[in-house]
Amino acid sequence: MVIGSGPIVIGQAAEFDYAGTQACQALREEGVSVVLVNSNPATIMTDVETADAVYIEPLTVSFVEQVIAKERPDGLLPSLGGQTGLNMAYRLAEAGILDKYNVELLGTPLESIKKAEDRDLFKETMKRLNQPVPESAIVVSMEEAKAFRDQIGYPLIIRPAYTLGGTGGGIAYNDKQLEQFVRSGLDRSLIHQILLERYLNGWKEVEYEVMRDGNDTCITICNMENFDPMGVHTGDSIVVAPSQTLSDKEYQMLRSASLEIIRGLGIEGGCNVQLALDPKSPQYYVIEVNPRVSRSSALASKATGYPIARVSAKIAIGFHLDEIPNAVTQKTLACFEPALDYCVVKIPRWPFDKFTTSDRRVTTQMKATGEVMSIDRSFESALMKALRSLEIGVYGLRSKGVGLLTEMEIEEKLRVPTDERIFIIAEAFRRGMMIEEVHDLTKVDCWFLQKIWHLIEMEQQLRNKPLDEFTPDLMRKAKKLGFNDHHLGELIGVKEPEIRARRKAMGIAPVYKMVDTCAGEFEAQTPYYYSCYETESE
Amino acid sequence: MALADAASAPTENSTQTATPTQRQRVIIIGSGPIRIGQGIEFDYASVHCTRTIRDMGYEAIVINNNPETVSTDFDISDRLYFEPLTVEDCLNIIDREQPIGVVVQFGGQTAINLAKPLMQAGVNLLGTPYNSIDLAEDRDRFDGLLIELGIPKPAGRAITTGEAAVEVAREIGYPVLVRPSYVLGGRAMEIVFSEEDLRSYMETAVEVSSDRPVLVDKYITGKEAEVDVISDGVDCLLPGIMEHIERAGVHSGDSMAVYPPQSLSQNVIRQIEEYAIRIARALKIKGLMNIQYVIENDQAYIIEVNPRASRTVPYLSKITGIPMVQVATQLMMGKTLKELGYETGLYPDADQVAVKAPVFSFQKLTMVDTGLGPEMKSTGEIMGVDNQFPRALYKAMVASGYDIPLPGQRDAKGEAVGHGALLTTLADYNKEEGAPIVKGFAELGYKIYATEGTAATLRKHGVEAEVVRKIREEAPNLMTLLTGPEVDFLINTPERERTPERDGLKIRRAAVEHGVPCLTSLDTAAALLTALRYQKAQRVVGVRAVGEYHLPEHNKH
Repeated sequence: MVIGSGPIVIGQAAEFDYAGTQACQALREEGVSVVLVNSNPATIMTDVETADAVYIEPLTVSFVEQVIAKERPDGLLPSLGGQTGLNMAYRLAEAGILDKYNVELLGTPLESIKKAEDRDLFKETMKRLNQPVPESAIVVSMEEAKAFRDQIGYPLIIRPAYTLGGTGGGIAYNDKQLEQFVRSGLDRSLIHQILLERYLNGWKEVEYEVMRDGNDTCITICNMENFDPMGVHTGDSIVVAPSQTLSDKEYQMLRSASLEIIRGLGIEGGCNVQLALDPKSPQYYVIEVNPRVSRSSALASKATGYPIARVSAKIAIGFHLDEIPNAVTQKTLACFEPALDYCVVKIPRWPFDKFTTSDRRVTTQMKATGEVMSIDRSFESALMKALRSLEIGVYGLRSKGVGLLTEMEIEEKLRVPTDERIFIIAEAFRRGMMIEEVHDLTKVDCWFLQKIWHLIEMEQQLRNKPLDEFTPDLMRKAKKLGFNDHHLGELIGVKEPEIRARRKAMGIAPVYKMVDTCAGEFEAQTPYYYSCYETESE
Repeated sequence: MALADAASAPTENSTQTATPTQRQRVIIIGSGPIRIGQGIEFDYASVHCTRTIRDMGYEAIVINNNPETVSTDFDISDRLYFEPLTVEDCLNIIDREQPIGVVVQFGGQTAINLAKPLMQAGVNLLGTPYNSIDLAEDRDRFDGLLIELGIPKPAGRAITTGEAAVEVAREIGYPVLVRPSYVLGGRAMEIVFSEEDLRSYMETAVEVSSDRPVLVDKYITGKEAEVDVISDGVDCLLPGIMEHIERAGVHSGDSMAVYPPQSLSQNVIRQIEEYAIRIARALKIKGLMNIQYVIENDQAYIIEVNPRASRTVPYLSKITGIPMVQVATQLMMGKTLKELGYETGLYPDADQVAVKAPVFSFQKLTMVDTGLGPEMKSTGEIMGVDNQFPRALYKAMVASGYDIPLPGQRDAKGEAVGHGALLTTLADYNKEEGAPIVKGFAELGYKIYATEGTAATLRKHGVEAEVVRKIREEAPNLMTLLTGPEVDFLINTPERERTPERDGLKIRRAAVEHGVPCLTSLDTAAALLTALRYQKAQRVVGVRAVGEYHLPEHNKH
């Protein structure tokens, strides 16, 4: 039996339909008959072709128990339906229903899940594994929260245990905010627990997607780096894969930590490890571990061509990594670590075009409803592609209204992240701010800022340039950096079809590269592509 | 090895070609990121379209940029391009792949918006011709078509100045539904009840000019219904009608809806069917179309036509058993309904009842008003299915987060679940209408808390409510009850002035933040009452697999 994630809400979008569908196929390939429960029929996983029996029923203990009673499944795979699926498995086990009907939990043992999800157990486990976690306290009341504050002071980060996408949490800089977040966090937490933690202001946030099988073989699928430093929910962060600003030493250090953690927790399947890295020293902290498929694992799968949900499902029924072929490449085995020779950028899609009165700050509480991903040869061009994929009326780094902001507003908006931050950074450069100044205000790594600065430099160079002064060389340069025809048209006041005609006349068109998971090492069959402006001969 | 260029495309000579093939290619435009108004339904439709195209022997090529979805999984299409959905990015791929045509019907508004520029660039659009898409989306042209076809729509027209808006409203009478014609999906759509509010709307909420007309329509307070039509240009299959539970004024994506209709007359059902067929033929629809109606005095009026697959397609596909996207895709590729074994007209009702309900993410979005209106706010939807309406309704309520315990209900361990109480504060204009519904809850045994005015109206209807102080009065007041929380749910209807009513907003937000379910439409409250009454009479509601929906009914309870 597989439990879906229910309706699309902020924090749980289509990624679980993707994971669930893939896993159901993987299980059925091995002759396993699949019973699926989900309340959301607008999913491929609830098609009768996906599972052997599909139930579109409410995801409550009483309804799911009825399905179990009727179908009598042998096992339950709880790690595919996001937090909803995991919480349901947890409740079914607590209520004795799994025992009553003799349903075995597949994949990662519930104990391991608890170790990753329950903060107390998590902290204890990390301590045992010699993995550093930020100073924190688990509190169940306002009094305890205030006592912890007296110990370490502000800023503090507040995270409720067992919720969707960090609901009810936030960063508190003062008493008023502390009270507000502690109260809402306690309310939202399924087990009335919240974690108070030192806020690692300006630290880099890095994620590793790792896998482990029952033989204790572990691999890294990929790592990802948040453009936004600590304090912004990963779901609300611009994310790049692979990481761009880590030294090899740092990369290896965090990779080893992630592998040690997945081993230490005894996870069988995919796992997401979130870490914070001090930009000034080799110190790091383990922030969070998600022992299941997640939004990040969907992104990692698409970014690398490694089907995490599929392989996790095979592991759950006893296969080992060296026995599972990679169905994407058809050439490699699942124990082969993907390598990337391109840059992937993810940008969240926020609903503030609809909710104009909403608080647009991005914090530890996720607000995005969806996301876009782009692939290109450089960070610059991947960023530009992702921006125009958002469908918010922008084709590059300029959004409506930023030109009207005062210098003071710009500084304020650099300091306090909102959905518009990337556009504000660009505007700051347009107005002549230096990379260091912007870094001081945003704490965004200078490498990223340098790239944005580079894009703005190109933008300034292109602005108002007559079309007939575009040399093929300049055009190629602009295209390579990700300036699309529409955007070029906006910059020089010419309609898009004219630019297109001119560009084509110059013989400038993109070539398409394959996502082959192995950076060209083997000949792969991966049928998906991204465009880039390079020469074919490369 | 050198980088594996996607020289698999036919125009390139390369050794890295991924199985070169002589098969004809079709490009399917995906729906991009999940956002309010364009959810997972469109990915569902894109996937089914892609699979059907492959099954028909074509090479299916998907363009999409959403990493979360099934459509961007590696084995859905023959080739996937992970690219932005802009004209340029799509045209570059089209240049490369030389498809026989491009499908824009299943990727929501993202894809349909590309119809015009792609057509202008000489790309062949499969299915409904571009002229028909434009006809359906251009208000003036569409009004003309409806007049020609003799199909009624609410009075009103497009205007280009604030003064003209006031004139139109005087002519047709308030309330009026106003919205910019250039934005779809209910953005900046409002129901306006007075001239003062209309002037304020025209000044502050929209840009109006000759390029950017604003639509001013008579707001009909009737029931709403919608239908999806699958057509080959001649024959038209209507899998089913969905009747909205909330009356007009709540965005269709935020309304609960039931299939088959529970309260529409045969006469209205016939009108819905006839009008849909007439429009589908006039527009030469090839594939899918969605039509929304409002019903008043046994007459259906057209309020909107979308020449594409709609949000309801996966729901109706599952409940009727008609694979709607597969059928529509085959028609788009030249098959006829007759060839596929379908006849024109409304398909017979299934013997299951399905209720679709919206799900919101208000907890995550601080400062957003939870009151329902013409702008869509929900992020997702669920469906409750059973053999009787109240059962399906109950499931839909539970699945969408309104798992309201009955008074005195106990859990397996014998502990009380819930508080057996509700809190209500109704807007002046619907106090009278709301009283009988609240009375129904009182009869089920709920203790009623109400603010003074609402309590007075309830008293007239024979309901004794405990009066609670307003939020601006001293504690204990309404906020104390909500934050306790000491009530199981809240019924709060917003006033209809444009000026934000601070108290109402505060109350609704407090409910969200303290996890108290809040109903802002009397129709939703009445539906909940129906579901709970049924629960009280007969507590057991069973489960049924999708494959069993279409089997002969056997009573399980």
